[in-house]
Amino acid sequence: MRSIQIGRLLRANTGGFVAGCRVANFEADAPSLGALVRAPLGGDMQLYGLIYDIHIDDDGLVRQLVTAEGVDEAAIADNRQNRTVPVEMSVLAVGYQQDGQIYHLLPPRPALSLDVVTLCDDDELRRFTSSGRFGYFRHVLRNRELPAGEILAAHIRQAQHAHAARGNPTWAAAASQELITLLRDDYSTLMSVLSALSDTMMDF
Amino acid sequence: MSLDFQQVREQVSRLGEQAPGRERRLKALRQQARDLLQIHAGELESLRQKVQAVVRSHDPSLRCAIPTLERLNACSPLPVMPRRATLFAADGSQIYLDRHAAAEYFLINIGAIRMEYGDEQPPAVTVQSDLYYGDDLHISGAYPSEEKISLLRDLRERQRLADLAEQNTRPAIALTDGSLELWGASLEQEPDSLEVFLESLARLEVAGASVAGYVDKPGEDYVVRLLEIAALPVENAKERPLRGVRDIDLFREILGPGERSAVFEVQTRSAGIYRRRSASFAPHFFYLNVGRQGHPWLARVDILAWVASDRHRLDDLHTVLVHQCRMLGTRPYPYVLHRAHEIARVTADEKGQVELMITNELRRHGVPVEESHKQYHKNLPGKGRYSQ
Repeated sequence: MRSIQIGRLLRANTGGFVAGCRVANFEADAPSLGALVRAPLGGDMQLYGLIYDIHIDDDGLVRQLVTAEGVDEAAIADNRQNRTVPVEMSVLAVGYQQDGQIYHLLPPRPALSLDVVTLCDDDELRRFTSSGRFGYFRHVLRNRELPAGEILAAHIRQAQHAHAARGNPTWAAAASQELITLLRDDYSTLMSVLSALSDTMMDF
Repeated sequence: MSLDFQQVREQVSRLGEQAPGRERRLKALRQQARDLLQIHAGELESLRQKVQAVVRSHDPSLRCAIPTLERLNACSPLPVMPRRATLFAADGSQIYLDRHAAAEYFLINIGAIRMEYGDEQPPAVTVQSDLYYGDDLHISGAYPSEEKISLLRDLRERQRLADLAEQNTRPAIALTDGSLELWGASLEQEPDSLEVFLESLARLEVAGASVAGYVDKPGEDYVVRLLEIAALPVENAKERPLRGVRDIDLFREILGPGERSAVFEVQTRSAGIYRRRSASFAPHFFYLNVGRQGHPWLARVDILAWVASDRHRLDDLHTVLVHQCRMLGTRPYPYVLHRAHEIARVTADEKGQVELMITNELRRHGVPVEESHKQYHKNLPGKGRYSQ
């Protein structure tokens, strides 16, 4: 699996960032909820994050176009290819890499405007998720505004696929066990996360 | 001191009191006009002669419609969509010269879009931004007024359309917003602009483009004026018994969704200038119902004689315009014109960026820049106003 450039950074802080891309690009190489992405931090440092929201804003013309009896193909193509309506992806910072070492900590500084945001390939995904003891989960669980169960379920499904492809079928079970440990004192969040995980139809 | 709403309120109240009476009077006049349209619908040649007689002997500046080959009350149904068609649209916007600002310049921005019917490709868009500064500011030896800048913008729109039409290998429809005639210009006083404009029209004609101006919510009364002339003796033709009735009041009742009216020639002083240059430049127009059943919406479409006299061109323009308007659903308006406007539009933010770029560049070269004290005080915070 190759690394795919999915957009450029619009705004950021140390806790995360928002990346944008044109709708046309988004169609071709669409990233998904829970996907691991990276952005440069200067030198050999890389920031890692999980996509927790993808949204597309409307505008007056789009709202007017949907009132037509059938939206013309040319108008759809024009809106997607020519108009400046970006897809915005919100990313939660979950770690960084420095001197070849991966840390599941918040980055020392945010990435900069217009930095390229890249979807991590399977090798990077395996490397990031097998480093340490799932410390990056706490960044997702800490933020009460996020649909933690949905994000983690989507992420674990993608990561499990990458690990299983390299002969490690037990990664998801270990990740789930860690979540149960982290949420042992928070029953409602635990149930929410386990419910979402069970809907991924994975066999742990 | 802000707006005195008490004063405005009293005037609005009077406006409301007068409105029902005015509406009743107009309703009767509209019916009278519709009756006249039916009575004189077939008198094409005699009306043409009567208009010429009025212009010759009583009113050289007469503004009215001249019948062509179709009955005055004709309704042409929506033709079949052509299998292939190319549509261009151009629109312009500008930053006017502000002598109180730190930098003295003006800018014209022309947006254009090309859409191919029968082709899978998305429309192609282009933008042309031209900055005028230094010696360029002195058009005709003086600082340009807003009207002059608007005129230059209109000329650039037509030139852009001509450029695009010449690059195209197939005959196309070339669309602009508003009347085809130059906006706000006294043509006799602007011979150079008129030449540029006529040259653009000639290039479009040679390139085989069907030029059209789309006028949304038109307020003219060219056909109503023709009916007044039809009903009055030549010597009384300056009277206006149907004043206040607009052409769209006539055709709204007649034209079904997608239908167009008869094509009329324009009788105005400026139309004569175009006609004298070339018979194929004679301005014509028709009305088009781009609305839906129960929700008529009339537009006027300005064309020139070379389009008016060619049935195929006319049909293609008719059907493509209706299709374009339907793309925008409940608020019919040609999609490409909206997009050309959107591409061309210069936002207040962009204006600020341009000004910053210019002042930074001038300062970098040691040229002093300074806004007027008047502008400085207008920019003070807390002075948010609807207009400056």
